[in-house]
Amino acid sequence: MVEKTNKGLILVIDDEESIRDGCRQTLEKSGYDVVTAENGEEGVRIAREIQPDVAFVDLKMPSICGIEIIDVLSKDISDIVLIVITGYASIVSAVDSMKRGAYDYLPKPFTPDQLRAVAMRGFDHRNLKIETRKLREEKEQMEKNFITFVSHEMRSPLLIVEQYLEALRTVAGGCLDKDANDIIERCNKRIHGLKDLVEHWLDISHIESGIFTPEKKPVDIPGIIMRSVEDMTPLYHIRELSMETDISEDIPEVTGDEESLVRVLANIMGNAAKYTPSGGKVSIRARHDEYYVSISISDTGTGIPKEKLPFIFEPFYRVKGKEEKQRGSGLGLNFCKKIMEAHGGKIEVTSQVGEGTTFVLELPK
Amino acid sequence: MSTKKKILLIDDDNDFLMATKIILESGGYEVFLAEDGKSGVEMVESVSPDLTITDMMMETWGEGFTVVSKIRSVEAGKDMPLIMLSGVDLQGPYQSFEPPDESPKVDMVLNKPVKADDLLKHVKRLLR
Repeated sequence: MVEKTNKGLILVIDDEESIRDGCRQTLEKSGYDVVTAENGEEGVRIAREIQPDVAFVDLKMPSICGIEIIDVLSKDISDIVLIVITGYASIVSAVDSMKRGAYDYLPKPFTPDQLRAVAMRGFDHRNLKIETRKLREEKEQMEKNFITFVSHEMRSPLLIVEQYLEALRTVAGGCLDKDANDIIERCNKRIHGLKDLVEHWLDISHIESGIFTPEKKPVDIPGIIMRSVEDMTPLYHIRELSMETDISEDIPEVTGDEESLVRVLANIMGNAAKYTPSGGKVSIRARHDEYYVSISISDTGTGIPKEKLPFIFEPFYRVKGKEEKQRGSGLGLNFCKKIMEAHGGKIEVTSQVGEGTTFVLELPK
Repeated sequence: MSTKKKILLIDDDNDFLMATKIILESGGYEVFLAEDGKSGVEMVESVSPDLTITDMMMETWGEGFTVVSKIRSVEAGKDMPLIMLSGVDLQGPYQSFEPPDESPKVDMVLNKPVKADDLLKHVKRLLR
């Protein structure tokens, strides 16, 4: 067993004794530790045991061929750099092995200088590979920490301001005139808006950084529609909108994350309420075909101009118009799209200005 | 001697303590404040409050749970009504926080920010 030193450990797998000896002599003189194997099986076994930094693999050997060794070692040994020794100066086989994970190739016959040069490049490549991986891991960790940090540092002060406003209303509410109470109410609304923005942004960051993966549990579609309808009823009542549901009886369960799907529905239904004048109607329909369960939410609202439709799922995109006073986080639909995609589904929209908008959510069965 | 009921409020955010104290005082209660779990537990013993309200996540997430079990282990806190406040929505799928296996022995959990009416209503009910 070779002790792993900081000299760099090279494994040479070749069935020709002269090549093995030649490589050993040259590479040891250059300061590397060298271990050799005379066939594929032995090579794989030794590699797994000693975890070399670089391995030279002869492409043409009896029993296991070089390509198979490349496949196994590149999967089994992290950060290993594989260099192919190819006897038949065939570019095709060298290219093939590089596609499968080899870093470079060395055509036979080769000189000691060529061998040294290739080994040195191999080690440089390995160091770069390790450094890149470490940096990527560090970056991912920083992103995760950042999200946690933001979640606390941004939400906490908002919560405190809300609590102070609540305290203010409690102690002084009775003495304040209508204007002053209105000001408190407006402050509350803007804080809610900012809170929504933080929440949506956090949700999206969680999805993008891979922290959020949807739960994979059976979801009862009529159940989540009714839940969302119930949640929305007070808002629809205030806005004097009617709601209609039309759900096929035989809708099968889908696999997914119930909570996030409810939030998607709430988002779309909330938007419908925002952009539909009082007296209007929102219809929710659920159907299924061979492959998908689809939920459509149609409103009789102001509609979205055709040229703006392609952008509405983009973060912070707003359909400006008469409804400019409507405020939202600007991330709601982007969140919906990300959640639907995380479920292997999609979200689509059609709209007619002055007549209304329909969102269709599709989930695979 | 004061006949006011005593409420102990434990939270690591001084502003949250102040805002909530104002609300509770408006309900006619005498309010004691503790800025960390350790002094909170000590005050349960020294003040013998009629009710305690504690935050769920303080310095460390879940510290509130430790505080609750410590409060429950002292004589003055054994049967005292306890409200836990949560700044996060534990129902959502987005929290990596796992509550401990044994659920904390609290009388109720309220979400932050707390509505003054809600808080006073529940405090009154628990003190009955």
